[in-house]
Amino acid sequence: MRSGWRPFVLVLLSALASGATVAVAAFAASGTATNSLAPVESFASIADPAKRSAAYFTELGKVLTNPRCTNCHPAGDRPRQGDDAHLHQPPVFRGVDGMGLPSMRCSTCHQAANFDPGRVPGHTVWHLAPIEMAWEGKTVSQICAQIKDPARNGGRSLDDLIDHIGKDTLVGWAWAPGVGRTPAPGTQAEAGALVEAWVKSGAACP
Amino acid sequence: MTTLALTINGRAYGPTEIRDDLSMNDFLREVLGLTGTKFGCGAAQCLACAVIVDREDGTSYTNPTCIVAAANFNGKTIRTVEGHAQNGELTALQKGFIEHFSFQCGYCTPGFLNESQVLLERLAKTKVARADLEKTIAEALDGHLCRCTGYVKYHQAVRDVVLADPDRYLA
Repeated sequence: MRSGWRPFVLVLLSALASGATVAVAAFAASGTATNSLAPVESFASIADPAKRSAAYFTELGKVLTNPRCTNCHPAGDRPRQGDDAHLHQPPVFRGVDGMGLPSMRCSTCHQAANFDPGRVPGHTVWHLAPIEMAWEGKTVSQICAQIKDPARNGGRSLDDLIDHIGKDTLVGWAWAPGVGRTPAPGTQAEAGALVEAWVKSGAACP
Repeated sequence: MTTLALTINGRAYGPTEIRDDLSMNDFLREVLGLTGTKFGCGAAQCLACAVIVDREDGTSYTNPTCIVAAANFNGKTIRTVEGHAQNGELTALQKGFIEHFSFQCGYCTPGFLNESQVLLERLAKTKVARADLEKTIAEALDGHLCRCTGYVKYHQAVRDVVLADPDRYLA
């Protein structure tokens, strides 16, 4: 009976070892855990400016690919919700202005601030990002190319992006999303600092 | 705590101090005793709790109350299911619901009634072609859930009210 366990244990140990290797490699690549952001100064050891710039954006990608952001930057006409990014319930739709259909506007339920007793997030302006700004399902590299393109970033310059990501209050909601939602990694200030460093180092894409 | 003052069914309420975390549904049912507004899913998915909100420009819309803070209704003018009948006289819509036996358990009825009333008032301002009526009603009532599956009879009741007064509602 005991000998029957041996192959299973060996396979399990092997799997654990390889998993640990992958986890360590991933951690080494980013330098920080997934729920935090590396400070700008921690990238100083990357001598090549273009590689350092791309590294800034890779780190920022933790925020941009987080459900707090992608849920409202969907690839389709329905927002997603929750940490598992499931389709929004009730079944609401983008509408012509990104604020819902005439019969079911975003502001019908989403008020000026989070209402935790109802588990409903809120902000003074609550709407979907335009479809040309969809991030859902895209790689960090693809989002980088998109976010630099004024035709796909809301007509913003690179300098505008520093303020938008670093100071915009709707963006800032991602770090204070209310009960039952995991905040975006790090802080808005840290994300803003990464954008600024990325822009000032040439805005290279990973 | 926050201050709430609003108009409900033509009557002024407040200013009164309420908890920040008090939902509008609880305010109506527990504080004011207006229990006609139901608490269904608690997630704004069944719309049994929807009330009518009247804008200053004369237009109206429905709003769920289960997931919205009462404080968000400060200064607003709303109507609940208790505000439809006047002096004991049911509206044409209420009579239509009864004639068609639209509701069985009745839990979803306040939401359907409020939504249908908003639709009628919208059609009175912007008439609809007869050919578009079915779609218009279906779209208006879409989102309201009825576990007794009374959808068709609600639809028929609204349609009959419209067809009974074509000059008012139909282009």
